[in-house]
Amino acid sequence: MKRSLRDNGLSIVFGLLFLATLVGQAFAGRADHNDRQLVDGGRELSVLQYVASSDFAVDVAENWQSEYLQFFLYVFATVWLVQRGSPESKLVENAGPESDERQKVGRYATAESPAWARAGGWRTAVFARSLGLVMGVLFALSWLAQSVAGRSAYNAERLAQLQDPVSWAEYAGSAEFWNRTLQNWQSELLAMGSIVVLSVYLRQRGSPESKPVGDPHDVTQESG
Amino acid sequence: MLRNGVGTALGVLLLCAAGCGTSGRESGAEAAASDFLAAVDRGDGAAACAALAPDAAEGLASSEDLPCAEAFAKADVPGGAVESVEVWGDRAQVRTGADVLFLAELDGGWKVAAAECEARGDRPHECEVGA
Repeated sequence: MKRSLRDNGLSIVFGLLFLATLVGQAFAGRADHNDRQLVDGGRELSVLQYVASSDFAVDVAENWQSEYLQFFLYVFATVWLVQRGSPESKLVENAGPESDERQKVGRYATAESPAWARAGGWRTAVFARSLGLVMGVLFALSWLAQSVAGRSAYNAERLAQLQDPVSWAEYAGSAEFWNRTLQNWQSELLAMGSIVVLSVYLRQRGSPESKPVGDPHDVTQESG
Repeated sequence: MLRNGVGTALGVLLLCAAGCGTSGRESGAEAAASDFLAAVDRGDGAAACAALAPDAAEGLASSEDLPCAEAFAKADVPGGAVESVEVWGDRAQVRTGADVLFLAELDGGWKVAAAECEARGDRPHECEVGA
């Protein structure tokens, strides 16, 4: 039990922090929603009613989609793009999908390799891209959820202001939708660029996101 | 694994939050609008005012400086039948042959928040009652 907790500490701690902050968002979001209802003359919601509302759904989904976009782009971009000196990057000469031998697929797979890495054909092709593909699918689904829930919340707001509701296509092309989307994308892209560049010159002792403290700035593929 | 399970459940909730359970609420909004329109058709100002949201009823009364039921008799709200209903969150829009009504779901159920409304493109409707 103790060993299992230690071996999975990263996923357990982040899972719990995720749930705690989501609950916090539900309470803070509900208070904000009810404040606005006082102005619009609508009814106040309980926490459970708020969690089931499109207002909560769009606020959650717009952040999820940008996080999954971040990892989708990062996973695929780091296959081809490198940053000399960054532990987030592989060596400059390894840019690209690399050889089967280096990736241990097909006839180079070992006895411990996952079955689909040994299988060859479409299964190995899919498995070899599964991390990026799943991130991409989660991004697409979250973005779709943002558009569906966002339209619902937007239309409720429009009706409160005595305006006609809009179709999904109109919402997907609206300033509201793109403002929500781009404000999240820019912050994720800034964070990605920051870790790539700052990790060239700065260190965090013991973190796999950093090079060993004493490594020179131009060493690329090391973690400490 | 824990996060995956929770994530999947939340994902379903997110998609559901926008679309689940609107049909029952549509019928509630439609019933409230029908009650309001029926009161208008039979000239029952008291019943029409009871179907209005408090803000709309107060606004109508203060604009004429009369009790709501009497002020309603002076307004020219068209009656008719419900032709279409759209519900979004706690708001609804009901179209009749001659009018567009805006409804809000309050603690006491669906109420008419605005009536006798005229479209003005993408700008808010101009409503004689409840604007």
